[in-house]
Amino acid sequence: MDVGRTVDAVWKLESAKIIAGLTRLVHDVGLAEELAQDALVAALEQWPESGVPENPGAWLTAIAKRRAVDHIRRAQNLERKHELIAREQEREAEPEPEQDDVLRLMFMSCHPVLPTDARVALTLRLLGGLTAAEIARAFLVAEPVVARRIADAKRTLAEAGVAFELPGPGELAERLTSVLEVIYLVFNEGYSATSGDDLMRPGLTLEALRLGNLLAELAPQEAEVHGLVALMEVQESRSAARTGPGGEPVQLHEQNRGLWDQLRIRRGFAAMLRARDVGGAPGPYVLQAAIAVSHAQARTAAATDWAGIASLYNLLVAKVPTPIVRLNRAVAVGMAYGAGAGLTIVDELAADHALRDYHLLPAIRGDLLLRLGRAGEARREFERAASLTANEAERAFLTRRAADLPVEADGPTLGRAAADFLARRDLDAGTLRSYGQTLRRLRLALGDGLPLDGLDAGAVARVFDTAWGTAAARTWNRHRAAVRSFAAWASIPDPSAALPRRAETRSRPAPIDPAGLGGLLERPGVPLRERTLWLLLRESGAAVKTVLSLDVEALDLDDRRARVGGTWVNWRSGTARLLPALIVGRERGPLFLADRRPGPARMREEADLCPHTGRGRLSYERAEYLFKQATKSLDPVGNGHTLRQLRLGD
Amino acid sequence: MRYLMTTLPTDDQAEFTEQMGREMGAFIQELSASGALLATGGLEPGGVLLSSKDGEITVTDGPFAEAKEAVVGFALIEVRSKEEAIELATRFWRIVGNGKGLVQQVFGP
Repeated sequence: MDVGRTVDAVWKLESAKIIAGLTRLVHDVGLAEELAQDALVAALEQWPESGVPENPGAWLTAIAKRRAVDHIRRAQNLERKHELIAREQEREAEPEPEQDDVLRLMFMSCHPVLPTDARVALTLRLLGGLTAAEIARAFLVAEPVVARRIADAKRTLAEAGVAFELPGPGELAERLTSVLEVIYLVFNEGYSATSGDDLMRPGLTLEALRLGNLLAELAPQEAEVHGLVALMEVQESRSAARTGPGGEPVQLHEQNRGLWDQLRIRRGFAAMLRARDVGGAPGPYVLQAAIAVSHAQARTAAATDWAGIASLYNLLVAKVPTPIVRLNRAVAVGMAYGAGAGLTIVDELAADHALRDYHLLPAIRGDLLLRLGRAGEARREFERAASLTANEAERAFLTRRAADLPVEADGPTLGRAAADFLARRDLDAGTLRSYGQTLRRLRLALGDGLPLDGLDAGAVARVFDTAWGTAAARTWNRHRAAVRSFAAWASIPDPSAALPRRAETRSRPAPIDPAGLGGLLERPGVPLRERTLWLLLRESGAAVKTVLSLDVEALDLDDRRARVGGTWVNWRSGTARLLPALIVGRERGPLFLADRRPGPARMREEADLCPHTGRGRLSYERAEYLFKQATKSLDPVGNGHTLRQLRLGD
Repeated sequence: MRYLMTTLPTDDQAEFTEQMGREMGAFIQELSASGALLATGGLEPGGVLLSSKDGEITVTDGPFAEAKEAVVGFALIEVRSKEEAIELATRFWRIVGNGKGLVQQVFGP
């Protein structure tokens, strides 16, 4: 027998308890895990020689604890050390609330201060005893990524000062939601692998069930915990039935119910009863579990209580109005009250931006269309669904469903025409790329199989609203132009009739904030002319051209204003302090002067020349250039700012 | 993966004590709660023996002469590895004391 594998098995059974106990001792989950790992390493070193101890779990716990006490003794702070040891000895006397420690650890690893993927990785690591390599394999990411995620998470918890405590009544609901979410996420990643070749990665579903059962034991007074366990047990009961021999998905109503695991179903029912015993208004997990239980109770697909399930979905939609829940409700309604009723709901959802790339929407729509006898449209929807999924098994399945249905017409299709259109040689690469984006969205939304003459204004308008309804006018107009160009090329009626061109208002860049400008004005070496110009622009809010056209003789220094081109430019104290120095010795001519006299080839209007120095008026280009140079360091992009950005509003 | 643990009848089986009952109860409770224990039960001694030979099926009611009066039982567990199954079986035998049993992986759904 391989001792290493035995150590691993014992570790997976015991590590959560060990790490939780150590965290209570050293108040740092990162350190606790390291100490526990030390014990694991000791076991790997010693057991092959000494044999596996009689009670391996207790052995690991004892070693880990000894390491922790050693660590505390070594700790620099004497006072702290004594305090900790004293506390530890105190604790030895009373029985340890070990279970609460594991629950604390769970709340900690699922703390909302952590990003979701960090919560998942840390929970699997600390409570499931999985190695970084195992987590990486389960989620199809590289091992260093997981290792970094876990290290970052531990640091974040330490920096945020997250205490090893059970959440108080005020935050319990939110914190519990976070834990349930992490567990269900692990389950779902295993149950319907979001990417990769396999539809299921069973290790993760069982890990999630283990975590869920653990939580249910630790927090038995929470109905939602039992609801989640019930939901997972019943879903897991179908695992053998939901894939066919080739790994392809088998839909619920076509599954061989004899393959459903009755042991799991029974456990699910039991958890559901526990949730009911706790009482209270059913939460999202209890409702979803009730739906799953309802399916599990039906001996045949035909015996499913769809009306009951539809009303459960009505309750669920009220609590969790996400597009996906609404989509599932559409399925239930379609089964309970006819495909037409379901299709109505699905079509309402089609306009939802969040669902535009969600493959199940066209897949479900295809089902409903098929039941309504609209096979051609159904085929297109299945093709579209296939093009949207990232899961290979699912894609193959959807493609096959499409292939089983008759092609609608022999005429040219959207997919074919779009490909030909983009294969043109008379367009430059940039235009082709831009057109390609537009057509890709149309193909994803309407399906490659759509007959070209079905590309009507209404359908195109719906795609535009969903995809670019909230985009900038320029973006909208660019896609609109692409569709017009495509329609003209394909000789079909212009579908842009229902797409009004949008007015493109040039967006003004954000004004420079006062702090930025203040720093700029105080920077050493900035000439007086520049400082005055910039401050005047800020204080007056006048147009750059207007300010540059100011003449010395037009200034009314006392009233802090100047007349120019029939309007007044007003300034405030900052400019007023600088102006006298700027115009010293000058009575007439341009207020802001160029650095040099204009060359003979560049004769200026007399009004743009200074009668005192012969220098010309500062040009907009030069002023702008100088400002950009000066503000390069303020601009995150490094281009520098424009003078217009000095003005606060219009 | 699932494993079936069965106890086999032996001569030197330990007496069932109250303490054993308590420990076993706690053990079963822990395993059920964690989801590891899917089903468990004791088996009646003897039972019914069926044998099939050349198309002829013989049904014989127990008890049989060679069968011993012993409590045997089974447990179906869901674990991550064979080593984990063995570890759980080890804990079982530490409670029960003398006896012997089998741990076999269950294939298929």
